[in-house]
Amino acid sequence: MTTPAISTADLAEFRAEVRRWCRAEVPSDWRRTQAGASDDEFVRFQQEWFQRLRTAGFAVPHWPAEWGGGMPVAQQVVLYQELAAHDAPRLVLGFVSIHHAASTLLAAGTDEQRRRHLPAILDGEIWVQGFSEPEAGSDLASLRTTARREGDGFVVDGQKLWASGAAHADWCLLLARTDPAVPKRRGISYFLMDMRSPGIDVRPVRNAAGESHFCEIFLNGVVIPAENLVGPVDQGWQVAQSTLSAERGMTMLELAERLGNAGFRWLVETCRTPGPGGGRPVDDPRVLDRLAELDTEIAGLRALCRGLVERHEAGTAGPVEASVVKLYYSELLQRTMDFAVEVAGLPAHAELRKPASSGWESGAWVLDFIGSWEWTIPGGTSEIQRTIIGERGLGLPREPVVSS
Amino acid sequence: MSARPDGQGGAGSADGSGGVGGSGGAAGPGDLGDLGELHRELRAVARDLLRRNAAKAGPDQTYATVDWSLLADTGWLGLEAPEELDGAGVTFAEVAVVLHELGRAAASTPYLGSAVLGVGALRLLEAGPGRDELLRAAAVGSQRLAVALPTGDDDTAAFRLDAHRVSGQADFVPDAAGADQVLLLAVDPDGLPVVVRVRPGDPGVTVTDRPVLDETRGLGTVVVDGAPVDPASVWRFAGDDPAAAARRLRDRAALAMACDGLGLAEAMLETTVEYAGTRRQFGRPIGSFQAVKHACADMFVQIAVGRELLGEAVRSVAADDPDAGIAVSRAKSYVCVAAVDIVGAAMQLHGGIGYTWEGGVHVYLKRALLNRSLFGAPAAHRARLGARFAAP
Repeated sequence: MTTPAISTADLAEFRAEVRRWCRAEVPSDWRRTQAGASDDEFVRFQQEWFQRLRTAGFAVPHWPAEWGGGMPVAQQVVLYQELAAHDAPRLVLGFVSIHHAASTLLAAGTDEQRRRHLPAILDGEIWVQGFSEPEAGSDLASLRTTARREGDGFVVDGQKLWASGAAHADWCLLLARTDPAVPKRRGISYFLMDMRSPGIDVRPVRNAAGESHFCEIFLNGVVIPAENLVGPVDQGWQVAQSTLSAERGMTMLELAERLGNAGFRWLVETCRTPGPGGGRPVDDPRVLDRLAELDTEIAGLRALCRGLVERHEAGTAGPVEASVVKLYYSELLQRTMDFAVEVAGLPAHAELRKPASSGWESGAWVLDFIGSWEWTIPGGTSEIQRTIIGERGLGLPREPVVSS
Repeated sequence: MSARPDGQGGAGSADGSGGVGGSGGAAGPGDLGDLGELHRELRAVARDLLRRNAAKAGPDQTYATVDWSLLADTGWLGLEAPEELDGAGVTFAEVAVVLHELGRAAASTPYLGSAVLGVGALRLLEAGPGRDELLRAAAVGSQRLAVALPTGDDDTAAFRLDAHRVSGQADFVPDAAGADQVLLLAVDPDGLPVVVRVRPGDPGVTVTDRPVLDETRGLGTVVVDGAPVDPASVWRFAGDDPAAAARRLRDRAALAMACDGLGLAEAMLETTVEYAGTRRQFGRPIGSFQAVKHACADMFVQIAVGRELLGEAVRSVAADDPDAGIAVSRAKSYVCVAAVDIVGAAMQLHGGIGYTWEGGVHVYLKRALLNRSLFGAPAAHRARLGARFAAP
């Protein structure tokens, strides 16, 4: 889905348009109303914000034009920059829907699956990712949830973990084992599972930051019709791998601009705020040195993300670029938040809540710092990403397999 | 193992099309943005030529020297000179490709002093018979240049011009010894930066060699003590902001260090990956150990980030972007720090052989360390970046 080139003048005009839109449409009081919001309030707010973005053509700019996107990468960057700079709420609830679900359907789904779900996602259908399990974290391919062929469909039994937003989800991207007899990566299938099916029980897990958006999903005899299989049976691992690079590029583009245009700017504001003694952290050359270092790294991240999306569209992206971006973003976010906690001092510890619908850097720095492990651990830990880079990117030999 | 770029299992063993440092299939390492076919070709030619040149080095040499005549034959000396002055009429983006390859090869050459800084300085000056003649001579290689500009953290010009004489001193000047002519970055009686052309051996002009641990670089000290100046050898910067033009010259010097640094870092990652894939301990290749593998992955990530920052800086300098200084300071501070980390990791992961003279990793380490110090230490560049956040 190569997008057309765009002139500097057009880009400036587009930026002005987004700015006008943000000034008119970004709710000025959302941080207050979303602080301590109930689940229902959060969901209602997210759905309403999503539709507002959709009306403007800003909800799914990264999708192909025929499905309602088609925005050139340069314009997407501008859009994300301006949304962040105007402190717009983030699409938290629909994140998996517009990224992971959409890129899976576009890359590997059938026409029927796309027709059924892509418009529904635009209408607010919420998705959750059901990959990890209690015994399958970093070693995801060892997952034990089974999908047994029965008649015209599959019957699923097992347990999923770390399913973010499962409590609100309509559909689930599910990996389950269809052939236990073959090596672990070859016996997995990829399903679209209706969360209203009988036999599904969702229980929230409270995380280190005190939030409960992660869930366990218990699956007992859940029936999935065969038409909800994505790709060939037993090829689910390959489907999951092949959609990873696309989805990483799209998600990271937005997150990197968020970090640069919202998170880092607030960090600078924190550093410019006089402390109890009247001095500003920014008057300390050591603080300035760290700010300059983070500014540089964030500039590098942003260029890296943009490059990944452009190379992905051109078909020239390398095999581990997505891993490089995920690893670098996660650890840079963590370093940035750590520094923010340090300069913000004791008052940061009295920020007891971060507003729902905010980014990974909300300005409640202690909670943001704790929340940064939600990047370095899920989706392949930083250690797993380094192994992928070493083996697939550099061709280093694999670790010998220890026989069990 | 040898890190010597002679194609014998060392740093230059990658082919011209890419290598492990590359971010991906089609994009070559250090493929600085949308440079297109011209750059790929220039890169491939440069890499091949430097490899063949290195193969001629004697067995005791740990690095290769590129002769002046070879440099002149390539046309690299006049890349940025206008075509009507016998140059190629291209931009810093192409110079960056050559610098990157020279860094990969850790090649000893006066390219930096003459082609990057000399031609670069002349390009920033008002046209005139004297400047044009020298630009033509530098472009074809009949005259070798050096530019005496501040090489440390302080970027104030070191030479003062009064009505008839110039005085001052600059240290660690790239390729000063051996230059036919030296361009002094000076301040005129009105406080405006100008360029004064002198020749070593002129009355009051002394140029001496300044040996440093990095043997691949030739640095010198330029001392000028009341040297009489011919008004025809005082040249003004073009445009209405000479101070900005002088900063652009410094930026170009700093960015050259980053281009070189990325090249040598890539070479060290490649040689380390190759070694880790073949060297066996405890019955298996050391590259299969996670500690080694993850260290290599970190080198790869640093190179990927550095390549992006460098690409942005090269594009903005090539386009004479007025804000190029920001991108340059980011690239210089990040890449030159990363390069030292990466060469340091290369030495560590090579184990004992990496610490030997013959192994040659030390050549890269010394060059990376010098790159990091020359034309502004990382902290100096970060201070420039940080100033934007401190304003009241």
